Amino acid sequence: MSRKAAVGSATIVAALALWFFATTMTQMISPGRFPSPADTWVAFKQITGVGYANGVLIDHVVRSVVLVTLGFLVAICTGVPLGLLMGWSRKAEALINPVFLVIRPIPPLAWIPLAILWLGLGDMAKILVIWFAAFVPSVINAYTGVRNLDKPLIEAAQMLGTPFSTFVREILLPGASPMIFTGLRLSLQASWTTLVAAELVGAMTGLGRVLNAAQQDLFPGMILVGMIVVTLCGWVMTAALGVIERRALSWNTATRAGD
Amino acid sequence: MGAIRFDNVGRIYGTKQDGFEALKGVNLDIADREFMAVVGPSGCGKTTCLRFVAGFDQPTSGIVSVDGVQVTKPGPDRAVVFQQFALMPWKTVCENIELGLRNKGVPKAERIKKVNDILALMSLTSYADAFPHQLSGGMQQRVSIARAYVLDPEVLLMDEPFGALDAQTRVVMQEELVRLARRNPRTVMFITHAVEEAVYLADRVAIMARQPGRVKEIIDIRSVREAERWDDHEKIEDVMDLESFVHLRTQIWRSLRQEKAMEIA
Repeated sequence: MSRKAAVGSATIVAALALWFFATTMTQMISPGRFPSPADTWVAFKQITGVGYANGVLIDHVVRSVVLVTLGFLVAICTGVPLGLLMGWSRKAEALINPVFLVIRPIPPLAWIPLAILWLGLGDMAKILVIWFAAFVPSVINAYTGVRNLDKPLIEAAQMLGTPFSTFVREILLPGASPMIFTGLRLSLQASWTTLVAAELVGAMTGLGRVLNAAQQDLFPGMILVGMIVVTLCGWVMTAALGVIERRALSWNTATRAGD
Repeated sequence: MGAIRFDNVGRIYGTKQDGFEALKGVNLDIADREFMAVVGPSGCGKTTCLRFVAGFDQPTSGIVSVDGVQVTKPGPDRAVVFQQFALMPWKTVCENIELGLRNKGVPKAERIKKVNDILALMSLTSYADAFPHQLSGGMQQRVSIARAYVLDPEVLLMDEPFGALDAQTRVVMQEELVRLARRNPRTVMFITHAVEEAVYLADRVAIMARQPGRVKEIIDIRSVREAERWDDHEKIEDVMDLESFVHLRTQIWRSLRQEKAMEIA
């Protein structure tokens, strides 16, 4: 593990050195196309100090994180139950699946114009678009999780006289949870992708707004800062989800380690 | 109380006209507290018969009843021990065994006592907080048997419970099951491929035939066991050495082999 970590950090150091070499040292890449480390640092100081595009960095980060979290929560709170329902009940599946099949192939970003038309340039439109994007993976994976439940486990629960509410809480949910978490991870990724795109189109603050403004100002350093911060935010949220997943599925990760 | 009756039971898959007839005219009576083993070639429908009693599946003709009441759905009065254990992987040994009692609404203090008693009886006490995957196959099946026994069911249904275990573990489990069954007799329907296992454990052995699946012959073991005092022997290999045991085993083998011969001819 430490060897792996050493190789990983060596790669990162090499990449940074190459970046410095290609920009500042030799000017192989012109500063107008890609910022040097120094340009990036200047941009970073600017956005954390005096601010950029209607706010300092923390404003943009908070804005984007709040929107992603809201959209993501709305999506999973609707998507997971719907997926569980479709997985469990053939009737519900027959009823809902046709609608789902029609809506599913629509690229989430294609909803942006309609969302803006309905709800304007405000937060609601962005949450709506995130919902469309993050909803689908939640539904599909919760559905698959239920369908892949071991049949004898269901029969064992029936034989033990398990009432339906207990069955949902103690058999269906935990049994489907490895797949549900896969869905949540995909939903979270989709939420970030969609948010940045939605903010590019129209927003007062937010990381997508920073990127858009920097592009219009021909400010490569700020573009790179925006990209790095978006990546870090996404990474932190995915890691947090991973911690929750490992806690919730301790019985399951232990299985994998044991095999 | 827990007498099982199969009354002219049949099962057809597909349509009545050109469906596959898996079972036809199955008649079988298992008395209260009787240990009935069911043996037969694969595909004879012995597991399907067990699933009828459990309520997981319904016959297309005839009636399966327990104490005169037709079986329509699964329930804790007919506990099942599955071949692949079917323990909830996210529940500890203790929680797995406790679930059925909780569903019944047994108060907590009584639940704890019952679970602890059965854990002790099955030598599982030190594994109470382990997860199933941390246990060997034999241990997992012990938990599964404990989960069934703790409900104090009228009827115990065992579908090749030792089929997934290695030979040594299997023998230990067979001896334990005999100990358990003598101490706390229940009506047991026990499906197996292994003739020795059937003769060793059962009061009677039902031999099934296939195409279509039906009960071909029933062999009484109990009268021989009592007359020849098998229970005086503690170890399974001592019983298996007895002339009376060998005789019964051979009789069942012969009956099964006739089936095979007919199939080939």
